[in-house]
Amino acid sequence: MTKALNRRDFIQNTSAILGVASVASGFTLTTFAADKGPASGGKRWGMLINTNILSEAEIDSMVSACKKEHGWGFEEHSTGSQKPSWIKKVKVQDRATKKITSLPLMCQHCEEPPCVDVCPTNASMKRLDGVVLVDRHLCIGCRFCMMACPYDARSFVHEDLSNQKEHMPRGKGTVESCTLCVHKIDNGEQPACVASVKTDAVIFGDLKDKNSIISKTLRKIQSTQIRADLNLNTGVRYSGI
Amino acid sequence: MNKISKVRYQQVDGSGTGFYVLVALLSVLIVVALGAVYFMEHNGHYVTGMSNRIVWGTPHVFAIFLIVAASGALNVASISSVFQKKMYKPLSRLSGLVSLALLAGGLMILVLDLGRPDRLIVAMTEYNFKSIFAWNIILYNGFFVIVGVYLWMMFERRMNKFSSKVGLLALTWRLILTTGTGSIFGFLVSRQAYDAVIMAPMFIIMSFAFGLAFFILILLASYKWTERDLGDAIMNRLGNLLGVFIAAVIYFVAIYHLGNLYITENTGVEDFLLFDGEIYSQLFWYVQIILGGLVPIALIYSPVTRGNRMTLGLASVLVIIGGIAQIYVIIIGGQAYPMEMFPGMDIISGYGGIASYIPSIAEIFLGVGGIAVALITIVFFVKFLPFLPESLSDEVADPHHNR
Amino acid sequence: MGTMFAQYSNNLSGNSDATYRTDPFHESISSIRKMHPELLKHKRNETLRHGVRTEENSLKECVNCHANINENTGHYIDVNKKGQFCSSCHKKVSISVDCFSCHRPTPTKGGS
Repeated sequence: MTKALNRRDFIQNTSAILGVASVASGFTLTTFAADKGPASGGKRWGMLINTNILSEAEIDSMVSACKKEHGWGFEEHSTGSQKPSWIKKVKVQDRATKKITSLPLMCQHCEEPPCVDVCPTNASMKRLDGVVLVDRHLCIGCRFCMMACPYDARSFVHEDLSNQKEHMPRGKGTVESCTLCVHKIDNGEQPACVASVKTDAVIFGDLKDKNSIISKTLRKIQSTQIRADLNLNTGVRYSGI
Repeated sequence: MNKISKVRYQQVDGSGTGFYVLVALLSVLIVVALGAVYFMEHNGHYVTGMSNRIVWGTPHVFAIFLIVAASGALNVASISSVFQKKMYKPLSRLSGLVSLALLAGGLMILVLDLGRPDRLIVAMTEYNFKSIFAWNIILYNGFFVIVGVYLWMMFERRMNKFSSKVGLLALTWRLILTTGTGSIFGFLVSRQAYDAVIMAPMFIIMSFAFGLAFFILILLASYKWTERDLGDAIMNRLGNLLGVFIAAVIYFVAIYHLGNLYITENTGVEDFLLFDGEIYSQLFWYVQIILGGLVPIALIYSPVTRGNRMTLGLASVLVIIGGIAQIYVIIIGGQAYPMEMFPGMDIISGYGGIASYIPSIAEIFLGVGGIAVALITIVFFVKFLPFLPESLSDEVADPHHNR
Repeated sequence: MGTMFAQYSNNLSGNSDATYRTDPFHESISSIRKMHPELLKHKRNETLRHGVRTEENSLKECVNCHANINENTGHYIDVNKKGQFCSSCHKKVSISVDCFSCHRPTPTKGGS
C-alpha cells in the first residue's frame, strides 16, 4: 500500500503552499527559527503499552495526568456520558481464558484514521508525523467522526468552558480527543500520560526510527493493535492483551 | 382533443380562515423550534439527551427521515416525465415542490443541531472529498438546483419539451443522493448495526414509501381544503403504489436483519435490536413493522377499506410514523449498542453496555419544527404559484379510465 | 478614527507591570491592524496542522501583552471583554471575535 503521493498529502501540501502564497502576497514573512521547524513526515510518533506490567494505579495516574495537562473532566453541567474523556481505563476479560486485563484507551492515532476520512471540513486531520488532531477552527460539530471512530476516543464539548489551558484551546460545540500532547512532543518532551508512568510499561517514540527504543522493543516482543482487523495501522500498540 | 391541454393549474385561494389558521399553527411550531434551538445552542448540548455515546439524537432522526422522504416525493414527477405515464403528469409540479420542501425542512434540522451552526460557511467552503458527508452537502445543494430547473421546465410551456431530460437527471441525482444518505451509515465499519452495503438500497426503497406517503397526504389535504375535484382513478393508483413500496421496505428490512443474523459476530446486535432492546425492539416490531407496515398494507388492499380516502390517508400517516420509528431504531438503536472493540473479550468496565438515551423536549420540538418548515413552504408556494391542477377528476386525470 | 487610535494606544502597552516587548512583532500599527486576521489564520494552520510553535503572530503572545490587569482584584481581564483590547475595535466594526470561544483570553496566572 505504498503510494508515492496520496490524495490527502496532496491536499495538505497544496493547501500549505496556497496558504503561504496568499499571505506572502500581502507582505514579507519572517523566517521561522530553525529549531522550531514543522512536523516531519520522516517521523511517526507511537506508543507501546505493556499491560502485563502496567498497574491499574498507573493507568489512573495516566488519566489524571491527561486531565491536568489539558483541563478536561471538570465540566460543571455535563453528565458522566456527556463529559469529555480523552483517555480512560478499560478492563476486559477474555471469554475463554478468563484472564482480566486493564488498559488505558485513547485515540490510537491511526495511519488510516476513519475520523479523518469522514470529516466533511478537513477539521479531523493527521499531521505528517502521524498525530491525529481536530482542527477546532474548522470543526462544525457534526459528530460524524465520533460515529466513525472504532475506539470511542472522541468527545463532544457539551457546554461552555472557561479557564482553558494556554496550550489547549477547547470550546463548546466542537469535538476533541487525545492530541498525543503535540505541544510537548514538538518541544522534545514526552506526552503527559507517558511521563506519569515511572516504569517502562509505556514507551513513547518514533516508529520510523529503527534505533528508537519503541522500534527495538516492538521488534522483540509480541504486540497487538486494537481492532487490527480494520487495518487502520494504529500508532498506539499494546502488549499483553 | 389533446388531453394535456385539459389540465389547468391554479393557485390556491388562501384567503379563508382555514388557510390562516393553518399558517398560524405551522408558524407557532416553527417559532417553538427556533426557541428550542436557541436553548440548546446557548447552553450547549448538555441540555439534550445526547452524549458522547449517542452523538446523533432525535433531531437527526427527523432530519434523515425528511431528507429520505424528500427524495422519494419526487417519484410521482419521475414516473410522469421519465417513464411517460401520462396520468401522473398533472401531479408533477406538486411532486417537485413537496420534494424540495421536505429537503429544506430536513436540512434545517441538520444544520441547527450542529455544535457550531454559526460555522455553516465552513461546511460550504471546506470540502474533504473523501467524506460522504461532504458529498452529501454537494448532493443536497445540487438537488435544489436540479429540481428547481425541473420545475421551471414544467412551468414554462416553451421549456416543456426538456422536462423529460431534466427529469431523468433529477431521477438519477436523487438515487445517488439517497445512496449517499444511506452510505453515511452503511460505511461506518466500526459499528455492528451499520456496516452493511444494503443500507444504501434500503434507504432508496424507504424514500419511495415515506415520500409517497407525504405526497398522498398533502394531495388529499389540499384538494379537500380547497374543495377541488380529486378522482378515484388517481388516488387508487397512488394507493396501490404505496402498498407496493411498503412491502418492498419490509422485504429489505428482512434481508438486512437476516443477513446480519447469518454472520455470527453480529448476532449480539441483532438480538439487541430485535428482542432484548426494550424500547428499540418494541419500536421495531410494534411501530415500524406492524403499525407502519402490515396495517397500512391491510388498509390499502383489504376489500373492505380499499379505495377509501380516509383509510388511504390513515395508511399514509401510519407509514410516516412507522418510518420515523424505523430511522429512530437505525440511528439511536445502532449507537446504543456498544462497539465490538475487543472481539472474544467481555468489557468489564470503562466502556460498553447499552447507552441510555432519553430525547429532550427541545430535540423533539426541533424535529417537529423541521416538518412544519416543509409544510409551510408547500402552503405558501401553492398559494402564490400555480402548482395544483384545478381539477383532478377522473376525466382530467385519465380520460380512458372507464374505457 | 481619532478616538479609536487613542483607545488603541491606551491598550497597546497592556499589562503595564509586565516587561513591554520591544521585539518587532508588528512592523507597524497600520499593518497589524489590517493584517492580523490573515496573520493569525496563517499562524494557526502553521501551528496546529504543521507543528510550528514560534512566538511571532501567535495568539498567545497577543494575549500575553495586550491583556490588562484589573487594579482592584489584581487579576487579568479577558482581552475580549467590553472595552478591552480586542473588543474596542471589533465592536466598532461589528465583527465578532470567535477566537476566545476556545482560546484562553488571559495570560496564564503568574505568567510574564
